[in-house]
Amino acid sequence: MSIISIKSATKRFPNGFEAIKGISTEIATGSFTVILGPSGAGKSTLLRLMNGLETTTSGSVHVTGETLSKSNLRKTRSRVGMVFQQFNLVERLSVVTNVLTGRLAHRSWLGSLFYLFRNEDIEIAQEALARVGLTDKAWSRADKLSGGQQQRVGIARALAQRPKVILADEPVASLDPVSSEEIMMLLREICDRDGITVVVNLHQVDLAKRFADRIIGMNSGRVVFDGTPAELSPLTLQTIYKRDEIENDTNLDLALSYA
Amino acid sequence: MTPTLIWRCPTRNGLPPLPAVASVVTVLVAMWSTASLVEVDFARLIGSLGKMVSFAGNMFVMPEWKYLPHLLGKMLETIEMTFLATAIALVVSLPLGLLAARNATPHLIVYRLVRDLLSLMRALPELVWALVFVSAVGLGPLPGVMALAFVTVGFMGKFFAETIEVIDQKQVEGVSAHGAGWFQVRMFGMLPQALPDFVGTVMYILDHNLRAATVLGLVGAGGIGYDLVMSMRLFQYDRLLPIAVSIYLVVTLLDRLSDQLRRRIIHGAKAKI
Repeated sequence: MSIISIKSATKRFPNGFEAIKGISTEIATGSFTVILGPSGAGKSTLLRLMNGLETTTSGSVHVTGETLSKSNLRKTRSRVGMVFQQFNLVERLSVVTNVLTGRLAHRSWLGSLFYLFRNEDIEIAQEALARVGLTDKAWSRADKLSGGQQQRVGIARALAQRPKVILADEPVASLDPVSSEEIMMLLREICDRDGITVVVNLHQVDLAKRFADRIIGMNSGRVVFDGTPAELSPLTLQTIYKRDEIENDTNLDLALSYA
Repeated sequence: MTPTLIWRCPTRNGLPPLPAVASVVTVLVAMWSTASLVEVDFARLIGSLGKMVSFAGNMFVMPEWKYLPHLLGKMLETIEMTFLATAIALVVSLPLGLLAARNATPHLIVYRLVRDLLSLMRALPELVWALVFVSAVGLGPLPGVMALAFVTVGFMGKFFAETIEVIDQKQVEGVSAHGAGWFQVRMFGMLPQALPDFVGTVMYILDHNLRAATVLGLVGAGGIGYDLVMSMRLFQYDRLLPIAVSIYLVVTLLDRLSDQLRRRIIHGAKAKI
């Protein structure tokens, strides 16, 4: 069973840059997928296509059986949580309010007029915060937290909406190694325990190998590798991180020798 | 190469950038060529020095103490007018500001229309609107409040809109990516970010409105203005000084208050939802 399926999707930005050059793939329900690739390969764009933050130029994206379109955008997003590299928390709001914004998809605009939430929503938010170990920070302002803590709030926000899928766009790129480890473990645990499908963009090959069920390698808008971590050989890494314009890329060899 | 120069501008050729030089020159030329038009006459300025000194001397007389209770009443009326007008304008400006912000408006046509409406409202000064409203509803503080609120919406709506236009889009995306609706995104993603600047705007406008309210009395629209003008015309200098001092005190007090409030909101003295 696949929860997300992408059919010959392309994405061309208004400035003419083609970020996705025809990708077809399926994400299995309950799986943990990591997308690897150099900067500018189109990883973020691919992920953003999956919850409608970007729309395809051609081809289609299907989430939980429905074709993504303008009319079901809100409904789709209520099922697909998103975790960002820069956390994208509303910095001036308290931690718990940020988590509560994950509940907005299920509520009408009337309560929002006075910033009111239902008791059950507050309970769900508190639960989500307990899950990421931040109960004691619930009433702090979001921008007073450290990077690792802010990212955990980001995950709690995604959890609070009770999603089927969590998309994480380079969730550890702005974090130190220990926080990175914690965030990846948290995402893996959410996948295993709650059966939530997780798709993560990563820069770190070692993290990808350790946490993923499946790795998708991307280079300049195309999928160049698709397999298990065990199948990810030094040679395939060469194809993923290959730079078109450079013939004998000694920097590439050097970088991969540590991976 | 001119190796003897120690100073140079951070440009390619080391000379000041042309646009900067051009603007300074333009301003200087404009000032020089229009000075005669607005009758800037230094001889006249110097000649009037004596009159100014004698006027200033007249100001420093013993205040008329028994006038103070009346002054207090009029000052309170002025402050009430200010707060009421600002509060009314605030309620109207918030939604208008959202509609007039490029990144929050439902449609570019709405954006254009609201922007034009706002500039119409602030096209004429409070005093002129007060004249209009005085002839409409009669003398007293009511037309004053109406005039103030009217012009304030024009300014506040524009300021709000411009504040909303420069907020961090990433935080907005964080809210919208989780399925929040159109209105919810604006309430949770946009307004919290704009809040400190809103408070700054409101405080500035309170300050401005207080000073505007002091002159509305000129056309019979309530407040301390009527007393101010009358005491000047009747050479009641023993009233003029207390009036001026009380206006100064209230404006200063408001300034202190706004500093405090702004600091609390920016640094978050306590947790807020």
